[in-house]
Amino acid sequence: MTTSARDQTLQSIRENLAASRPLDEMTHALRSAPPLASPGPRPQAPDLTTRFTTQLDAVGAQWTLVRGEVEAARALRRILSDAGARRVAGSDAPLVARLLPERLTRLTRDELFTCDAGVTTAQWGIAETGTLVLESARERSRLASLVPPMHVALLSTSYICASLADALARVDVASHAITLITGPSRTSDIELTLVVGVHGPQVVHILLLEEEAQ
Amino acid sequence: MTFDGGVRAALGDVQLRGALRHATTLFAEKRRAAMATAPDWEGARDRARAIKDETLLHLDHYLDQFTASAERAGARMHWAQDAGEACEIIGRIAEQRGARTIVKSKSMATEEIHLNAALARRGIEPIETDLGEYIIQLAGETPSHIVAPAIHKTKGQIAALFAEKLGIEPSDDAAALTAAARQALRRRFAEADLGISGVNFAVAETGTILILENEGNARLTTSVPRTHIALMGIEKVIPRFADLEVFLQLLPRSGTGQVLTAYQSLLTGVKQRPDDEGPEELHIVLLDNGRSRMLAAPVTRQALACIRCGACLNACPVYRQIGGHAYGSVYAGPIGAVLTPQLIGIERSAHLPYASSLCGACRDVCPVKIDIPALLLHLRAQVIEQRAGKSRLLERLAFRCYAAVMARPRLYEWTMRVARILRIVPPLPAWTKWRDLRPLAPRSFREEWRRDTV
Repeated sequence: MTTSARDQTLQSIRENLAASRPLDEMTHALRSAPPLASPGPRPQAPDLTTRFTTQLDAVGAQWTLVRGEVEAARALRRILSDAGARRVAGSDAPLVARLLPERLTRLTRDELFTCDAGVTTAQWGIAETGTLVLESARERSRLASLVPPMHVALLSTSYICASLADALARVDVASHAITLITGPSRTSDIELTLVVGVHGPQVVHILLLEEEAQ
Repeated sequence: MTFDGGVRAALGDVQLRGALRHATTLFAEKRRAAMATAPDWEGARDRARAIKDETLLHLDHYLDQFTASAERAGARMHWAQDAGEACEIIGRIAEQRGARTIVKSKSMATEEIHLNAALARRGIEPIETDLGEYIIQLAGETPSHIVAPAIHKTKGQIAALFAEKLGIEPSDDAAALTAAARQALRRRFAEADLGISGVNFAVAETGTILILENEGNARLTTSVPRTHIALMGIEKVIPRFADLEVFLQLLPRSGTGQVLTAYQSLLTGVKQRPDDEGPEELHIVLLDNGRSRMLAAPVTRQALACIRCGACLNACPVYRQIGGHAYGSVYAGPIGAVLTPQLIGIERSAHLPYASSLCGACRDVCPVKIDIPALLLHLRAQVIEQRAGKSRLLERLAFRCYAAVMARPRLYEWTMRVARILRIVPPLPAWTKWRDLRPLAPRSFREEWRRDTV
């Protein structure tokens, strides 16, 4: 049944497009013009980290800039303890394992729903919008960024892209799920009053790792 | 209810009109502010429209490509020619998987096919998880806005509804009401075994579907349950992955006045490793339901470029007064007035092309530059063509007389003089039902001019 529905839909598309051809003369010029390519990555602007953190402020995300993994581990513990997070779901990404070995992994769905915080990596940042990009190919625990009321994301400053176009050109499209996160979960469905933290986290904290000077 | 009845009820509803005024004004302000942050707004609009035109002119090709790419990534494709077929496909999958708890994220396409009612007939009730949709579902209503489904409800009404249905203390705090809904829905997410979503964009090149949202419910819906069904109109496809950028610039800014919504999920097939997160099955249902017919002429085809941002609703002086329900159709506002007659047939929606002042505000705000007024006129012509018999003859006669008088200055002056002396007011009941016809001035402009008094 679906095969014939497919054939019939495609048939209908072709017939109707054919019927439109005489009426389409005005758009023929447009059609013969080369297809408009979307602009590629824009040139990298200096100081992407500052632009990124400015946008993080604008979208209501928190951030901490640290140098090296030792400092990062300390900052991560402080962020979690300041928030009173006891049950912390963590991804199995190597960086998270190094910074927070005692995190909870391989949780069942019910266990995850009772966690206080989730720690994941982010593969990219987008300076123009204050956005995190998580790729399933390198971050398997994306639910840890969504289900607990607090999400802490670890991002290396060398992976901050200037623009959305830049990020889309660089993401690993082999990932079956790519998630873009801009600030905390929000809704305005009640009288357009902004409420933060509806189905996702109320707090998003980005731990920005600068590489240690050699 | 008739359209006139719906309009009259809406205009008399003080709470509704207050809620609409507040919401549409705020949306319009936020949209203007967000537009200013785009590097090249007009350029983005032109590019987006060109991409949509290119896709629509070769829709068969791009659908083929999308289907092949998505199947390669592990998605299962289904084609539905109409609403009935789409409901049948989704209902059958739900039954075969023995789904007990179905969570659903916001999708106008599922509203269009009346999916919830169809599933209810099979004894399955999906739970709406977008806060606005959840409110509407609890109230037993339908969405009144593409982007903000519960825009017509006041905080007080929602508080009373939650007190009754969720047994919470009545509260006039939006945060407390949101928290109550979060609590109720988290339990459902934790046990959900099937998720149903819509699709904002589908990329032919990679087989990726993109879903935008702010709350996180679409992320949960598409990643927690074992099975994910995504319903999309065939016009949602775009050629290339890089094309997403321009649409991501336009849609959040036009829809909610955000530079970017909180979440975008770019989903390509299913997970490759069993220990990864995400559904094991992804079903994509491609819905025609009258869309392919709209390809037959450039004027009708352009409505398929719509990205469902809702900006035209907020800008429309008619929508701003009457809200979504008075239109009596799933899609409300200017875009609804041009989509609905083409989807369900003009004979069942002949009132909609007239639910507009043709002011053009919708065309001005449309991120893909759909000429909605031109489309409304095209549909009005169809309504007239279908109207047979006496009323059409009378109308034709009236316009013939009008044309004859207007083309002859002396006849015009003479006619007006007679009308002025006899105080003749033409019988225009349809016009004067809603408006006053001003009496003729004692002297015409031309007379004043000749007397040099102007």
